[in-house]
Amino acid sequence: MIHSDRDSLRAWFRSGELWIWANAAAVGISIIAIVGILILLAARGFSHFWPADIQLMTYRDDGDRTAVALGEIADSETLSVQQFVESVGGSGRAVPEGLDEVERLLVKTGNRRYDPPDFTWIFTHKIDAVSFPDDATVFERMEWGNAYGYLRAVGGPQETVSDPALLWDTFGNLMERAAGLRASIEDIERGVLNEINFGMEKVRLERRSIELGGLDVDQAATAMQELDERDLDLEKRYESAEQELRSLYRELQRDYVRVELATGQVIEMRLAEIVRAWRPNQMSALDKLWHYLESFSLFLSEQPREANTEGGIFPAIFGTVLMVLLMSVLVTPFGVIAAVYLREYARQGAFVRLIRIAVNNLAGVPSIVYGVFGLGFFVYFLGGNLDQLFFPEALPAPTFGTPGLMWASLTLALLTVPVVVVSTEEGLTRIPRAIREGSLALGATKAETLFKVVLPMASPSILTGVILAVARAAGEVAPLMLVGVVKLAPTLPLDGNFPYLHLERKFMHLGFHIYDVGFQSPNVEAARPLVYATALLLVLIIIILNLAAIMLRSRLEDRYRGVE
Amino acid sequence: MALNADLSHLPTRRRLTNAVTRYVVALGGAAVIGAIALIFFYLLWVAIPIMAGAEIEPGQRLSLPVGTPLLLEANETGEIGLRIDSSGQAIFFSLNDGSIVDRVTLASSVERVKRVLPHSSMYAVQSPQSGIVIYESRHPVTFDNDVRQIRPELNAVFPDTWIDVDPGADFDVHFADFEVLVVAVTGTNLQIQHFRDAEAGFELYEPRRANLSLERVYERVIIGPRGAWVYLVADDGSVAVLDLQRPTSPRQIFVGKLVAEGSSLNALEPLLGRYSLLAGNDKGQVTQWFMVPGEFGYTLERARTFKLDRAITRLIAEQRRKGFGAVDAEGRFHLLYTTSSRVLADRRLDSNRFSVASIAPRANMLLTGDESGDVTTYRIHNEHPEISWSALWSKIWYEGYPEPVYSWQSSSADNDFEAKFSLTPLLFGTLKAAFYAMVFAVPIAIMGAIYTAYFMAPAMRRIVKPGVEIMAALPTVILGFLAGLWLAPLIEANLAGVIGSILALPVGILLTAVLWGRLPEKVTGRFDGWYGIFILPTIILTVVAGFGLGPWIESVFFGGNTRGWFLNELGLAYDQRNALVVGLAMGLAVIPTIFSITEDAIYGVPTHLINGSLALGATPWQTLVRVVILTASPGIFSAVMIGLGRAVGETMIVLMATGNTPVMDMNLFEGMRTFAANIAVELPESEVGSTHYRILFLTALVLFMITFVFNTAAEVVRQRLRSRYGNL
Repeated sequence: MIHSDRDSLRAWFRSGELWIWANAAAVGISIIAIVGILILLAARGFSHFWPADIQLMTYRDDGDRTAVALGEIADSETLSVQQFVESVGGSGRAVPEGLDEVERLLVKTGNRRYDPPDFTWIFTHKIDAVSFPDDATVFERMEWGNAYGYLRAVGGPQETVSDPALLWDTFGNLMERAAGLRASIEDIERGVLNEINFGMEKVRLERRSIELGGLDVDQAATAMQELDERDLDLEKRYESAEQELRSLYRELQRDYVRVELATGQVIEMRLAEIVRAWRPNQMSALDKLWHYLESFSLFLSEQPREANTEGGIFPAIFGTVLMVLLMSVLVTPFGVIAAVYLREYARQGAFVRLIRIAVNNLAGVPSIVYGVFGLGFFVYFLGGNLDQLFFPEALPAPTFGTPGLMWASLTLALLTVPVVVVSTEEGLTRIPRAIREGSLALGATKAETLFKVVLPMASPSILTGVILAVARAAGEVAPLMLVGVVKLAPTLPLDGNFPYLHLERKFMHLGFHIYDVGFQSPNVEAARPLVYATALLLVLIIIILNLAAIMLRSRLEDRYRGVE
Repeated sequence: MALNADLSHLPTRRRLTNAVTRYVVALGGAAVIGAIALIFFYLLWVAIPIMAGAEIEPGQRLSLPVGTPLLLEANETGEIGLRIDSSGQAIFFSLNDGSIVDRVTLASSVERVKRVLPHSSMYAVQSPQSGIVIYESRHPVTFDNDVRQIRPELNAVFPDTWIDVDPGADFDVHFADFEVLVVAVTGTNLQIQHFRDAEAGFELYEPRRANLSLERVYERVIIGPRGAWVYLVADDGSVAVLDLQRPTSPRQIFVGKLVAEGSSLNALEPLLGRYSLLAGNDKGQVTQWFMVPGEFGYTLERARTFKLDRAITRLIAEQRRKGFGAVDAEGRFHLLYTTSSRVLADRRLDSNRFSVASIAPRANMLLTGDESGDVTTYRIHNEHPEISWSALWSKIWYEGYPEPVYSWQSSSADNDFEAKFSLTPLLFGTLKAAFYAMVFAVPIAIMGAIYTAYFMAPAMRRIVKPGVEIMAALPTVILGFLAGLWLAPLIEANLAGVIGSILALPVGILLTAVLWGRLPEKVTGRFDGWYGIFILPTIILTVVAGFGLGPWIESVFFGGNTRGWFLNELGLAYDQRNALVVGLAMGLAVIPTIFSITEDAIYGVPTHLINGSLALGATPWQTLVRVVILTASPGIFSAVMIGLGRAVGETMIVLMATGNTPVMDMNLFEGMRTFAANIAVELPESEVGSTHYRILFLTALVLFMITFVFNTAAEVVRQRLRSRYGNL
């Protein structure tokens, strides 16, 4: 192809071949960016739950003193010698001859509260010995994160077991007992106590509304008496529940373990403080897999602990799903009607063009603006007025005049209208004119044609639109921060107390959870794996929803190819 | 379709359903316009009051017992007034009807009453017999038989404590952080008393004292902010500032004059917080002065001048804001505000002959007391004087700043804080973030779209297009989180590597293209539409090579420290979360939008145009540049507009990937604060209905309008394009 160099080079440039490659590179960068992000999230998110082996390292610290560290390796980094010398303050900055790079490991040593730094950087060239002690144990604690050490004894008030042969089994049995107690405690706290508190609040509000007037003196007195009785009854139930709770707590506090840390210090922990414990160095690959799955399912089903940096994300999943469901109920009719108007009823002209501009603007207005509008109009204006009209007894505490589930759903419904409109319109366009005319020719009215023929045929595209809207809403965070999402909701918006669905409550959300834990939590380093896991979950949900929409759409295309 | 068909033969129910459906559907269509209009008008409705002016309405004339008032105050709620007169009587009276609620005798005669700063209801009462006694008024509310009643009290703050000052002296008292500072001036004599361990309810004891002989006579003394310095002012407008760092050994740090030659000082009043002095002269000017740090220490500078028509006779400061009132020689009361330089309203007062005047704590009432003791009130509506349209966008000289600046700083722990509401830094940040995002996104998205639509093999296109579109669905919170917690530290640690990769990429592409050209055409011809795949290894290799060469680049070109090099050689500071990170992350967020629309536009170019061009002998590349892109250019334009709209309004990425500091600097390595992020950060904590709240709504409105313009332009262009394709 290339003969006389200069001419052919010029010709080659003129052929645009280089630019075509540059364009291809642009596609390549986009592909790598998407795939890279997904791989990064998957790698970090999935690896979090894998029980890593625990290493015992003897090393020299910055001051060249010998130290030990017991923990898992969280990260590693390569530094140039210069960076190394700058980062090491103490006397241990001497570098072995011939080394122009050094590697350092971030070791998670845990034991917060006993042995201060949660994470330690250790330079590989300063490690003297590494071993994987068989009996090294990870204790996942209720507070303060993980603890790493050796189980030395376990016991209750009567007896203490320290025989290595029996130790682990005894510990396991006692942990099971503690887990059982904990479950009963949670049952009472989330079930009975919650119900009683709800009842008491209701009595308080009813009393207040009687005080506010409306009834004559006699009626008011009877009503008050009835409320007093209910209150007394609730209080009695409360006392007995609390008594039971107290005894359960006492039981839970009974057993303790004695754990030796890497430093040789022996500490005592109540079993009540420990969520789970495992010895990764003894586990087989299958054990680890089992542990992994268990961890993952706990992550999905548990309540968060430690300012959301530990535990599970169940309330966030629940909140996201509930909000998105409510939103789809609200957005579907609005979006479909608008699309039907544009395609079936409107005469093409200036007004339709105006509507299209409005739809495009609804799609293009920044989501935070919806949040501002939602807060101002829905929460303070509508909500404030609803409170005045229907919940005067609760004032000045707002009922609907504060951010909550209903306003969040409504705001997101507004935000996702264009998605449904566009998708539905696309479906309506595909339906051949002949089908509508056939229906009309058979004597159906226009409305009947719409309901019996057009809409059923367009239903897959409506569904596609709703799925896309759901995917959009599930990932949206900025407006939710203003209209109802909180970092920690004390109660779920759906529970056993009448009217079961509490639209005025605040809720938790996966996307906001990521922002909050990743950026607002006191211990970002410790929380990071959890954020990756949450992000992965959110991305998976959204990708699955999008793929479903895409598949539905392509199936639809096939279907109408036949009709035409 | 079958319009206006005759339905009269149908049963009523069917006819009714048909008609109802028609109306409901039409309503639904109109509702879309309604929704967008509602958003616009609601935001406008909330934001508009900040532009409104103030109003002063006549209130009441209240007859009180005869006495020459020295102090006149309203309580927090504006229901109870307090008058202290020269005969030593303190009278609490109802501001509704003038009825007397309570009276207390403080002394047999009173010379002067001053407010004790920084408290709003503490007064230093000076009598010739007993020196200064400090009182505090309280207005506890009680409910007797469900009737709300206020029972005001006036109690000595430091019981059995009399602070001696020379008779006839002007004085000022400051009480904070368990320290009481009393400064008094008579003629050339300055007297300072400083009490430590002062606690309300206990005696004051053992003041440290200083007596100073001044160089000249001063008539007024005003203690500055937090007792840090004291202003001495003479009747001719001469002013001296003393540093009170050590209260017992004051140091003169400034002397000057508050009025120009040829005019006289008619009125003097410190502004809330006491950073500023307001001086009114006989030419109708009010000037604001405050201490400004300079090269040779602090100097008192004139920051702004208000020009009124007639000589100023009296200045009255607001208690909670940096606003004030000025009374002129004709008895006209003017309402002004310093920060925004606004003259808000004026009104002729009923009487020009009053001896005291004050503005109520909530700045909703003006009280004047005439010499006979009667009180006249005026109602003031002045909700949002702090800003004006020009103050929002222009440089403002804030208290204590060496020069006028653009600044956004909406709140602080101090009560006497001057809120800084300049939208310019936010607009700048918004545009900066969008600019860097577009610099990254536009070339990649458009070039990628060109390749996908025009060159790519259909089999590959079927995967690539939905793939890129899925990226549009990726929640921005995840992009922001990765940018903030993964990308930002990565770039910070490998800045040289990033630069290396960017430089290596074009070289890599060139090499690939040349190598590909060397391969026999028999092989390459089969893979014409698959360049997108073959380029992947090149990209990965160049990035890896760039990062691998990073340390080498760093040591050879940047003296071993890239960030340090940028700072020292180019003066570019480096933040970990900076515009580069935001540009990359937000670029990724807008790429799919631009890509998808551009791709549609190019793919939609009628094939007969392309075939025609090719048939005339143009190469595919020439056809692309001269025919396809030209035809699709309106579509590409609208793609860029929509992408820009998205970048301007994106919240989570900016929130998480920048430090959110409102700086104004195009530096790629520094952060910014955008409108959207600012709303997300500040709106949840903003008080409903406050100026701050309304300004945030205004910024939302500005965002709405910016994106509205972009989106509408894009849609109009697209509608044109659609009809043009139809004609081609």
